Amino acid sequence: MDWNLLGLSFVAVFISELGDKSQLAAIALGGSSSSPKAVFLGTAGALVLASFLGVALGSGTAQILPEKLVKGIAAIGFATIALQLLWVSDENGA
Amino acid sequence: MTDSTLDSSSATADEAVAAGTTAESAVRSDSGPDSGPNSEKTNFWGVFSSTFLTIFLAELGDKTQVTTLMMSAESQSPWTVFIGAALALISTSLIGVLLGQWLSTRVSPRTLDTLAAVVLLVITITLVADVMGV
Repeated sequence: MDWNLLGLSFVAVFISELGDKSQLAAIALGGSSSSPKAVFLGTAGALVLASFLGVALGSGTAQILPEKLVKGIAAIGFATIALQLLWVSDENGA
Repeated sequence: MTDSTLDSSSATADEAVAAGTTAESAVRSDSGPDSGPNSEKTNFWGVFSSTFLTIFLAELGDKTQVTTLMMSAESQSPWTVFIGAALALISTSLIGVLLGQWLSTRVSPRTLDTLAAVVLLVITITLVADVMGV
């Protein structure tokens, strides 16, 4: 086990993920959700799986899937959660 | 880009609806008839799947993260690189959720829900801007 490489990889990815949109999503979802444990497992699982696919497939999944399609679906997902949050907070504040 | 996106448009509509339906259970509801261990379990999986789906798709479309990983994977041991990256990703996810939890103790649920919605909408706009090539 090349510990230097492991540490380097950890630090590089950690710094690049800090403040990344996936972490912002984790903060937003984690604070507002009814199940923060599920948010953590979902976020960590999704990120690890995406990285795993990137390493395993070797060419980067971005080249295999139509990028616009994938981002478009993700955008719809985030927007849906956001609108649900606004709808619920309106109910609570009424 | 190719026109293959048109062929799978109906499939994506189904996926979007599925993501939206499971997303409904992701939001905290202080009122309602849900109670008991059964609905808690359903709720957990609802939150898990909507979170997993949206973040997974957002990350797949993000070239920079995969490129970074691939560049370092040119090294002798790509799986060592992967383990380091996976640990970092798990750590940042944990920090994010804990930060969100801490914030929920500082502000009212309504304020937090609104703030969270704004953040998610900003992410949405960023993704849409990427798609449109802005």
